Amino acid sequence: MSDEPKRKVESAGLVEYSVENLVPFGPIHPALKEPEYFKLILEGEKIVQVIPRIGYVHRGLEKAAESRPWVQNMYMFERTCGICSFVHSLCYGQAVEELTMYEVPKRAKFIRLIIAEMERIHSHLLWVGLMGHWAGFETLFMWVWRDREVVLDLVEAISGNRVHKSMNAIAGVRRDMPENMEDRIVERMKFLADRARYYRDVIDSEETMLERTENIGGLSADLAEKLCAVGPMARYVGLQHDVRLNDPYAAYDEVPFDIVTRKEGDVLALLRLRLDEMIASTNMVSYAVKHLPEGPIRVKIPPIIPAGEHASHCEAPRGEIFYYVKSNGGRTPERVKSRQPTMANLPTALEILKGQTIADVPIVLTAIDPCFGCMDRMSFLDIESNRQWTWSGEQLRQYGINYYFPERLKKK
Amino acid sequence: MNLLLEVLQAIIFPGVLFVIAMGFVFDWLDRKTSARMQGRIGPKIAGPSGILQPLADFLKLLFKEEIIPSHADKVIFLFAPALYFLAPLLGMLFIPMIAPTPIAGFEFDILAILFFLAYAALVVAILSYSSASSWTTIASGRLVLQYVSYEIPMVLSIITAAIFSKSLSVEGIVAAQNDLWNIVAMPIAFAVYIIALMAELEKPPFDIPSAKTEIVAGWLTEFSGRSLSFLKLTKEVSYVFGSALAVSLFLGGPLGPVLNIGVPTWVLYFVYFMIKLLAVGFLVFVLKTALARIKIGQATELFWKILTPLSLAQLALVIILIEGGILVAA
Repeated sequence: MSDEPKRKVESAGLVEYSVENLVPFGPIHPALKEPEYFKLILEGEKIVQVIPRIGYVHRGLEKAAESRPWVQNMYMFERTCGICSFVHSLCYGQAVEELTMYEVPKRAKFIRLIIAEMERIHSHLLWVGLMGHWAGFETLFMWVWRDREVVLDLVEAISGNRVHKSMNAIAGVRRDMPENMEDRIVERMKFLADRARYYRDVIDSEETMLERTENIGGLSADLAEKLCAVGPMARYVGLQHDVRLNDPYAAYDEVPFDIVTRKEGDVLALLRLRLDEMIASTNMVSYAVKHLPEGPIRVKIPPIIPAGEHASHCEAPRGEIFYYVKSNGGRTPERVKSRQPTMANLPTALEILKGQTIADVPIVLTAIDPCFGCMDRMSFLDIESNRQWTWSGEQLRQYGINYYFPERLKKK
Repeated sequence: MNLLLEVLQAIIFPGVLFVIAMGFVFDWLDRKTSARMQGRIGPKIAGPSGILQPLADFLKLLFKEEIIPSHADKVIFLFAPALYFLAPLLGMLFIPMIAPTPIAGFEFDILAILFFLAYAALVVAILSYSSASSWTTIASGRLVLQYVSYEIPMVLSIITAAIFSKSLSVEGIVAAQNDLWNIVAMPIAFAVYIIALMAELEKPPFDIPSAKTEIVAGWLTEFSGRSLSFLKLTKEVSYVFGSALAVSLFLGGPLGPVLNIGVPTWVLYFVYFMIKLLAVGFLVFVLKTALARIKIGQATELFWKILTPLSLAQLALVIILIEGGILVAA
């Protein structure tokens, strides 16, 4: 790279740039709702390099799962994310169901689809509002978030909660759909679809918004595939990546839906894509509510899950999520591994940040719909020798003791 | 006695204190209008409909601790806010509000007003640079670039009004609009002035130097306590000043139909002036709420490639109309 800044200082094995060119972005910054640190290497207002430093909100969820019963884990993994909470418990639940070999009742599958799609609507609305906020378009933010209340109210009427729905059980759902909700849901879904169309018109016709989003965050389909982009970040360059279509789960094989893809590959395309996806979701919910099959909603399962391992994946609003579950036949899982879409989309975000100006950073970073709290996991990596290792729980505990009580170490 | 009256006018009404009060009212109207447009309620606790909220915010900030960054240029950092505060306050003295003559007008006071506009931008650039953090450095770069973008169209539209009225004083320009407001003769100049005003006030879509989602609070980032409260107040007073200048240059200042309804003439002048001032303010509130922020390059492009040629064309058009005898200024 010939346009690299010339002055460099060596630090901790990483080649770093001199402080004059470095603008810290985070870990506490108005454009980030969660702590994450990006070192932006600038030339004037142009970004030439981005160095991320992730892991500020590591919570040890995977380790905690190993000491909790199977059912409790479901509610813990729901708390991975405050926005797409349902799909986490769904994905974990599906992995466990595969181990138990119990068949999920059809009605439960439909209810799962309804909640998952409502969650997608609410997540996409939240994102569109945030995009308006980062682009300095406060009015769009306020309006979109007002409409988001409509779907949150529906979720509350069905599940009793707005965000953490706690609807899933292993092999079923915990609550049935309330009676006489059908008309209300269909009518509200129609309203939301109208609003989504209206916001599409606003975004297409508002010059200031177009100027901020058109041709920003450009990515080619090849590069997106190479960087393993998932969800909307893959679909906005024309890749047909959607777990709902490629590997249907819940009732996605019975409810017809259109997969939305776009070709342009810029932030404007993402805005249009997410709003179109929202319209598709409203149609799916309406269809599912009208064709809700009768029957039981759950199967009782024993607390002990047979030994084995299984991986499950689902299409969260942000992209594909992964849960790997391993059981040794006990009351608690031996190992649970989860991979969130933000982790998969982070390389893409870093790539498309290069060459943008600092004014575009919030927009481009928000474009991937980041959820750093979901993403942060821990591993050890020595950059100099390129060595990776893991610690056992006992080692981690010992490290903690040594860290907080160094005098005990000296006595020994 | 006359001198005392003039001093009281300059200090209380329609001078400094009144202008500061108007700054608070503009802040409240701004917040209330955008809140209503966005489906919110806006301030409502302090005073009727929350009209005292800006004053409450100001007072609260006054008593907060003031933190001075260790690497800041302390003298400039402490004094520049006061220098900045002077600019719109002094500028307002040249605006006629309760009579066709301003409190402190002279033959070429338009030049003084142009000076105050340039002075305010310079002081902000300096005080932004003096706090010496990454955010304020970027902000001051953006601020200067934005200033050199909007200044030329803004000055051109002010000059258009001056040439049309054949006067370099605000008083003369106001007097020339007795029969026909300048906005009718030069609508483009008015539009250009309003857009440039929004850039000067850093309102969306030109809130680039203080874009909160990109560079924290822009050039305000390192300020706190008393300095911050005065800087915020100055922004609001600049708002009043810019709108009042638009009223004087294009909307006939305090002039209006003469009515014999038994109130003193100054009350009539004042009412006309306030209606026009609030109308201009409201125009800016609405535009600001309906637009998204653009980038600094796009703003520069807008001003240099579109608005400067437009205001030059307007100037040429006005000169041709005057020379051709089609339009005659009073």
